[in-house]
Parts: sequence; C-alpha cells; structure tokens
Amino acid sequence: MHRSMKAVAGIGACAALLTGCAFGGGGGTQSSTDPDEEVTLTFQSLAFQDATIQATQDIVDAWNADHPETQVEVTQGSWDNVHDQLVTQFQGGEAPDIIHNEASDMTGFAQDGFLADLSPYLSDDVVDSVGAGIWDAVSIGDEVFAAPTVMQSYVVFANTAAFEEAGVEVPSGDALSWDDLRSTAQQLTADGRFGVGWGLRQPTAPFMNLALGFDGTFFDVADDGSATIDVGEGELAVPEAVHAMAYEDASLDPVTLTQSGGDVLPGFLGGQYAMYVGGSYLAQQIADSAPDGFAWTVLPPLAGSDGSAQGTSPQTLSVPAESEHVDRAAAFIDYFMQADNLAAIGQGDCLIPASEAARAELEAATDGQTGWSEMLASGATLEAAPFQLAADYPQWKDQYATPAFQEYLAGTISLDELQQRLTDGWDQVGS
Amino acid sequence: MSTRRTTDRTLRALQYVALALFVVFLGFPLLFLVTAAFKTQQELQSPDPQLLPSQWNLDNFVGAIERAGLGQAALNSLVVALATTVIVVAVALPAAYALARFQTRLRGLATGWILLSQVFPFILIIIPLFLMLRPIGLNDTLAGLVVVYVVWSLPFALWMLRGYVAAIPGELEEAGAVDGASRLRVLRSIIMPLLGPGLVATSLFAFIGSWNEFFFALVLIKDEALQTLPQRLALFVGSEGQVALGQLAAGSLLACIPSLVFFAIIQRRLTSGLLSGAVKG
Repeated sequence: MHRSMKAVAGIGACAALLTGCAFGGGGGTQSSTDPDEEVTLTFQSLAFQDATIQATQDIVDAWNADHPETQVEVTQGSWDNVHDQLVTQFQGGEAPDIIHNEASDMTGFAQDGFLADLSPYLSDDVVDSVGAGIWDAVSIGDEVFAAPTVMQSYVVFANTAAFEEAGVEVPSGDALSWDDLRSTAQQLTADGRFGVGWGLRQPTAPFMNLALGFDGTFFDVADDGSATIDVGEGELAVPEAVHAMAYEDASLDPVTLTQSGGDVLPGFLGGQYAMYVGGSYLAQQIADSAPDGFAWTVLPPLAGSDGSAQGTSPQTLSVPAESEHVDRAAAFIDYFMQADNLAAIGQGDCLIPASEAARAELEAATDGQTGWSEMLASGATLEAAPFQLAADYPQWKDQYATPAFQEYLAGTISLDELQQRLTDGWDQVGS
Repeated sequence: MSTRRTTDRTLRALQYVALALFVVFLGFPLLFLVTAAFKTQQELQSPDPQLLPSQWNLDNFVGAIERAGLGQAALNSLVVALATTVIVVAVALPAAYALARFQTRLRGLATGWILLSQVFPFILIIIPLFLMLRPIGLNDTLAGLVVVYVVWSLPFALWMLRGYVAAIPGELEEAGAVDGASRLRVLRSIIMPLLGPGLVATSLFAFIGSWNEFFFALVLIKDEALQTLPQRLALFVGSEGQVALGQLAAGSLLACIPSLVFFAIIQRRLTSGLLSGAVKG
C-alpha cells in the first residue's frame, strides 16, 4: 500500500512536470532583427510534379544568390495531412516561415489569427497583376492572409480523333455553353461509347465552383465567416445538367459519376469517352500517359447563363503571424510572385498562374499548344467563390452536401429533395 | 468406411482450395504492387490493364530513389523502429510481469488506464506531445520520434505481454523456488524461455508499428535529412488526388523489404519459442 502511494505520487509529479513543460513553452515572439543580419527562412513547398519541384528549387536558388542576408531553405512537404500538420505547428509556434497550401485550407487559420497580413509587403506590380476576384479568395476584410500562386479550373478535354470519326466539329470560340456541351455529347454517343466521362465521386467542389457561371453563389458570407445559404436555380443548374446528360440523354456514362478523375482517365485515353471533364492539372497526366498518336485538345471554357466564371481555391504562400521575420518572408513571396516564376510553376503542374503577367508569359512559352490557350483563357474568369470563406463549409460539405449530391446523381432523390437537403443541412450546421 | 475416406479427402481438398484462395486474396495486393512498380506510366493508365508489364523496366525505381531519397529515409526508419522496439520491450517486460503477478490496487487502475489510452485519437494527443517535446529540444529529432513511438506503443505492448505472463502457470515459479532457485534465477531460467513467443510478438508489433507510422513523423520531423520512409513515400501523392503510381509502387516495394527481412528473421524465433514453451510447460 505504501509502495502504491509512492508510485501514485511519482506519476503525479511526472504529470505535473510535463504539464509545466507544455504550458511553459509558450508561443514564439516577433522580434525585430538587424536588416544586415543573416537569417535562414524555412519554406515548406508542396510541389508535386518533378518539373515544379525543380522550378521551385530554381526560384529559391536564384533568390539565395541575390539575397545573402535572407537565405531560404526548401523543405519538401506533402499534401497528405498538411492541414493537421499545420494545426499542430501553429499551436506549437513552429510553423515554417513560408507556407505553401491552398486558400480554402488556410482560411480557417487566418480567421484564428495564425497568419500575418501580407498586404503591407506585396509590391504594386504583384497586387495589380492578380485579379480582384482572386484576391477575395485570400483576404478577410482588408487583410491578405496569403499570396495566390496557381489555380486550377474545370475544363473539357476532347479526343479529337473521336470527333473526326463521328463527323462532329470540335467546338471552338471563346466559350462552350452547357447546351452545346450537351448536344455535342449526344452526337458523340454511339456504339456503347459515351460523349462524356466525368469523375464526380467528390461532386461538391466542382458543383460549387461551376455554379458561378449561372450566378449561383450558394452563400452570403459576413466578415466573421458566418453565412446564410440560398439554393436556387443558379446553384442547381450544373447538377441538373449532369443528371440530364446521364439519365435523359444517356450521353454521360453514369458509372463515372461514382469514380475519381484519375479512374476515368483510362477510359478517355482508350476512346470510351470522347470528352472528359476535370481539373486542368489532368492535362499533365494525359500528356504523360496517352498512347502514341492520341490526339487531344482542351475545349473553350464552359459557360453558363452568366458567363464562364468559375470559383477557384488558389494554391497560396503564407507567413505565420508569429514568424520572427514576417517582412523578409513576405519579400521572398513577392519575389516568388514575379511573372516568370509563376509561369514556370504553372507550366510544371498544368495549373493556371494567378497573375495576368504570368499567364501571358506562359502563353508565350507554350505557344498555346495542346490546350494551353484554352486553359489559360479559363483562368481569366476564375474568382473567389463565397463558400471558401464560410466558416462551417467543410462540415456542411462532408456531412450534408456531398452525400446529397451523390444521392441525386445516383437518382435516389429528386432535385427538390436535393435543394431541401442542402438547405436543411446548413441550418443544422449553423445551429 | 470407404465413403468416409472419400468424404475426408473431399473435405481436405476443399480446405486446400479455400487456403489457396485465401493466399491469393492476401497475396494479390503484393503482386499488384510488384507489377505496378515495373510498368510504364502508359501501361498503368491503360484502359485495357494487364496484370504483368509488357517489359520489366526499372525507371520507376530509379525515379523513386532519386526523387524521394529513400536510402537515407530507410536508415532513419530503421534506427527509429529498432530503438523503439528495444526500449518498448525493455520497459514492458518487467512492468508486464509486475502487472500479471503482483496483486495490488494499482493493478486495476493501471490496466484501466492502459485500455483507455488506446482510445485517444492521434490528433488529440499530438499537440500536447509537440508542446512537451519542444522545450526539451526533442522536436525535429529522431530521438523525439522514438520517445513518441515508445509512449504510443508501450500500453498495447504491456497489455500483450501481461497476457503472455499470466498464461504461464504460477506453479512453475513455485516449483523453481522449492528447488532452491532464487527469484532472478526463476525469472531467467523458467519465465524468460516461456515468454519467448510473447517477446517476439511484442517486438514485431512495436517494430512494424513504428516502421509504418506516418502522422507523428509528419508533424515532428521537418528536417529532410531526418524524414522517415512513410514521409518520403507521401511525396508521391499530390493535390487533387494525383498519384505517381509507378514510383509510389516502386518506393513502397523497397520500403517493404526491411520489414519483411525483420519478420523473416524473427518469425523463426516465434516458432521455436512456441515449441520451447510447450516442452518446458
């Protein structure tokens, strides 16, 4: 008994010691440093393609050569679990000085006060070169919590040989209306082959982003992240069109609605689908994986009743509010945002640079080949979608929106029921 | 009699068929991994997938090694996994013996705590752990990772070993004592040989758990030179669900090898330990 008491006392002492350690650590402090003092900043990059990893390293090397007082050290991070990693590092005050992520994931950190306001540090050239709609995706009020680098848009890839075989003209022009997409898909559907394959296993993000083309905004968001939902015709236009193509026209393979974009790609490369809707980044996979002689292109941007606007969650660079060198990290980000740098990053990942100057540079560098003209054109109309700033959007998406969209696409609930489920779900989350 | 023999043979044949199907079921992911590692990107994305590659090429292995620095990462994982295994077994062994043999009030409390500790999700404990490791300079070090893995593995290892100790009849120890053996001698000569299989199983659990662990390593280790294999393999997964499947398969295959070797070495001990335990029991 005596021994047991001693053990309990020992365990208690250890716990107290560890607790003391935990709370004694505290967060970092923002200290000013001598401008000539040499510092090393950590930059966690999530670059994925080999070309982008190399481009990132080249940018950092060039910066380091010109800025001996501010050296940047790249750490290769992973998209896998990056959110949980950042949660921990912010809490522990040890996040990298320069953080690569995407805007929608960083919004919550910004609302919690973990990110520095970059607006005083970014040059006019950088600010002016990026559209106001994109800045909205990375701003809360007047504060800019991240610099937008590259973005993806949803584009329509086309197997031009299948078009030729079916005697159908490949659409051209500034935009492709949903009605034209639908009629083209019908013309290309024959002999067990479908006009369109679309991997919509996770349908919420594409539907939310493409809704902007029909003036479908879904949410009205206040500065504090609170939001009200409105699901009307504009919001439901895209799921309704997809549903009609799958079940009324039978021109869109309904099996693909349950698959990821990567799952559908082999069918597109094998001629099963004449058109393939997905993120622009898939162009890289098509280029890498297509069999010899496979002829493909990207169709003009999809346009709804309100034009070809799309929502986007740009990849971003941010600086922790607790970084000791916010100004120097922001200076590096400003350098990273220069047109030639963003063009190199965008080309590596088949993503669209956020800045107009970089898009022009990329257009010149690629000579508009193999879909680049169309992909870059779609970038001009990308903007922030309100849902990206709605505080409870992730919960609503996982618990209500995604299951409801999936059930609608599977034909188990009607459009009215879908509307009800989306609205009621938000009320549940909001309450 | 003849009918019964025929029935037995049929049953045995069915058992073998079931076993073969089970082996194929278990082995298919490994077979897929092996063949995918040798396929080109075009073959991996082919709409008409074949089980075997048309040509066995090593590009994915070269790409995986060059891109992810797997050699250093494997060494880091090996160091961390071995250190974790040794410490876990060393700490769990006496603790498990005490829990199984000594009748104290603390035993029920400790057992309950061990079980309770297993229900905490990683995300709940990682922030306190991070905050505790920082002031003692163990963030971003392999030693810190070992500490975390030991803390994480210890409760279950203790629970496993306690069961093995409890299964050894107390009469054997009493018989040893009656024959004049000291307590240490009883432990060394009677208990330890019988605990062989339990120690091996616990070691396997601790080694494989820390070899495969990703999340703690992701959060705690920032220095690329210290990253472990699962961290490096995660680099083959990009945003929007992109996966460099060929390189990932090649990297995963390479990552399996040390684990398989460790298992191959230690599983013989598992068998011999079981046999020796049976004889002595």
